[in-house]
Amino acid sequence: MARRVTYNLPLLLLAAIALACLLAPWLSPYPPAAQQLLLGAQPPSVAHWLGTDIFGRDLLTRLLYGGRLSLLVGLTATAVALLIGVSWGAVAGYVGGRLDAVMMRIVDTLYALPFVIFVVLMMVVFGRSLLLLFIAIGAVEWLTMARIVRAQVRAIVHSDYIEAARCLGLSRWQIVTRHILPNCAGPIIVYTTLTIPSVMLLEAFLSFLGLGVQPPDASWGLLINQGVETMEEYPWLLLYPALALTATLLCLNLVGDRLRDRLEGSAVGGDR
Amino acid sequence: MACKMLSIRKLNSSGALCCALLAALLVAGCSGGERRVDSGTAAGVLHWGNASEPASLDPQIANGVPEQKILSALWEGLVGKHPVTLEPIPAGASHWQISDDRRTYRFHLRSDARWSNGEPVTAEDYRWAWWRALQPELGNSFATMLFPIVNAQAYWRGEIDDFSQVGVRVVDPLTLEVELSHPTGYFLQLLDMPTLYPLHRASIERHGAATARASRWSYPGNLVSNGPFQLAEWQINRRIVVAKNPHYWDAAAVALNQIIFYPTENTTTEERMFRAGQLHYSYDVPVNKMAYYASQRPAELVVAPYLGSYFYRFNTRRPELADPRVRRALARAIDRRQLTEQVLRAGQLPAYAMTPPNTAGYYPPASAEAQLSFDPAAARALLAEAGYPDGAGLGPIEILYNTQDEHRKVAVAIQQMWKQHLNVDATLQNQEWKVYLDTERRGDYQITRASWIGDYVDARNFLEIWLCDSDNNRTGWCDPQFDQLLLEQLPAATSQAERHRLLQSAEQRLLDGLPLLPIYTYTSKHLVHPDLNGYTANLLNQPLFKQLSLVRQPPALTP
Repeated sequence: MARRVTYNLPLLLLAAIALACLLAPWLSPYPPAAQQLLLGAQPPSVAHWLGTDIFGRDLLTRLLYGGRLSLLVGLTATAVALLIGVSWGAVAGYVGGRLDAVMMRIVDTLYALPFVIFVVLMMVVFGRSLLLLFIAIGAVEWLTMARIVRAQVRAIVHSDYIEAARCLGLSRWQIVTRHILPNCAGPIIVYTTLTIPSVMLLEAFLSFLGLGVQPPDASWGLLINQGVETMEEYPWLLLYPALALTATLLCLNLVGDRLRDRLEGSAVGGDR
Repeated sequence: MACKMLSIRKLNSSGALCCALLAALLVAGCSGGERRVDSGTAAGVLHWGNASEPASLDPQIANGVPEQKILSALWEGLVGKHPVTLEPIPAGASHWQISDDRRTYRFHLRSDARWSNGEPVTAEDYRWAWWRALQPELGNSFATMLFPIVNAQAYWRGEIDDFSQVGVRVVDPLTLEVELSHPTGYFLQLLDMPTLYPLHRASIERHGAATARASRWSYPGNLVSNGPFQLAEWQINRRIVVAKNPHYWDAAAVALNQIIFYPTENTTTEERMFRAGQLHYSYDVPVNKMAYYASQRPAELVVAPYLGSYFYRFNTRRPELADPRVRRALARAIDRRQLTEQVLRAGQLPAYAMTPPNTAGYYPPASAEAQLSFDPAAARALLAEAGYPDGAGLGPIEILYNTQDEHRKVAVAIQQMWKQHLNVDATLQNQEWKVYLDTERRGDYQITRASWIGDYVDARNFLEIWLCDSDNNRTGWCDPQFDQLLLEQLPAATSQAERHRLLQSAEQRLLDGLPLLPIYTYTSKHLVHPDLNGYTANLLNQPLFKQLSLVRQPPALTP
């Protein structure tokens, strides 16, 4: 029983946070950008549960709206990374030989590219947009994913049951999707849960440089960044966004742990 | 010493969480051991917060306030300004005579004035520098400062080719005669501007063409200057070190051995540096800290009136901003009183004109406030009249500002005011100082944050940037009548009253055209370490570095 609670609590908390962010326009009576300059920064009160920032904007509202952006960036960019990384790594690992060498050298080349310059270049060429931010982050994060998947596939591809599957006449597609990838699932899932937090931090960093989310919109990273500036006078502006980000990241990691435990128990041997 | 340079830049390279940690480390980590200000005071090294990395140290190219601070330590003009009263005081020239018609000035240079390489400073060095300042290909934003001189404008425009017709004459190596086209009351004040500093011709020509903008002559090791300090070191985005110039004529009176200028774009970080004993002087004070210093450490907080206007430039070449009614609507939708009292909170005055009130006795037209004051209904009506009812079809408009937290705050507040009162969307874009200046010069913007800090105390200084061919105009706005008032009628004015009347008509024309959105009149606010002696805030916020000294003060007794 206790086991189940510790397993489910993070999932529940995560769902609650995501739901609250999703329903922000209905949950909060305040528009996220509405300023009350005369009010200014106020500590938490009945009217403003988490207080207000220097423009008199409700922090809880901004936190919920910020969560939408942060989670969206986290999920989208990770999905992009997952999609590209897994297929790239699986193909390179399974086919091997010259194709593998070429594909992995491409990964190495992209690795060597300085990330910030890459993003700045994309902004210059395509203009600034949120979509571009997702793509830019995803385009960087898939590299590690590809390497991990390739290494896993290389390890599995020569095992007996793969040989057996080949002898039975399964097509390459079937072998990869039904036997190899499920056996790589553990590392992939763990790495995915680690990617979401790092993507969210990356977004915070880019927003800080003026390349990501722009005011009056705010992501958690940006809220924290601005909270730091006034942490001595208005500590709540730093505390709550930091708590939100930390809680989310922690939950993600715990959920990832749990998924890995489960999958490692059942996936080996493959055909389900 | 371990915490020597846990600087602002570090913050850029890590996530926001790390920022919090780093900031905490910065405060906590530096409290032990010897603080930089203490070792600085002992060694005569002044640690000076200087806002931005300078775009250039060429006195005829640099045009920002941060640059001006460094240049004023490196150079000296013919005449200086008294640090308190701003009255002209002898500097490069020991004395001068003014003719009875107040048009001819004869300057007698100090015979002991030396360049930092030991060579004597001669009248020719001034004449050659002014020749260079008037070369159009140099792109000197402040060439207009020389226009009171006979034929200077015509030469700059290319109407005459012969520089000897310009009213600057070398009488002998130590005597320079300047002839003005009209009596100009503020001419002596102009001589303290970087554009009118003398230049060492040989060292400039050694590194390329005299008028090349990208020349290396102003780099450490190459730069030769005539002021109390010389350039010793320049680490991009870290620090600029100037060291005492042993050849300076008044070197005996210079107390400091070195001044180190730090780029401090983030005022929050700057304030932490000051509190952690890393700076003797901060360029600015974050709004949230004002109350703390005013009540707890009042001796360290210096707030003073500052001759400067904070405004936004409209790019009138953009079709959506070409209609003055749109610009006026945007200007009237801003509640400047709330902005200054709630967001800025350091005694700034709401501004409704370009020139700060009471600039050497001059006041902007009395009707200015009524024309630009906060009136959402009128603003909406103007916008509808211009073809954008309820903001439909206009925007998003981008506000460009140079990276600084205070500029961001102002922009965020204005963005929301436009949204709320006009239903016009605005986006914010920040750029680093050099990039921002470049973007603005190229005219690649819709609206930019801007400010103009008085170079000398006269309303003309605030208006002349709006001349058609002024390099500081940058908005595409051009009004021949405005030019005519300022360039032809104003110099011929015979009395102060007439002069002010002409300035007012010019300013009225500017406010009718409205290529700018006036926001507030500055106050200067600094944190000044008790060890720093000889510092007084003045209206131009220009310290006289040669008079500053560092004397260890006993620490205040804590009860």
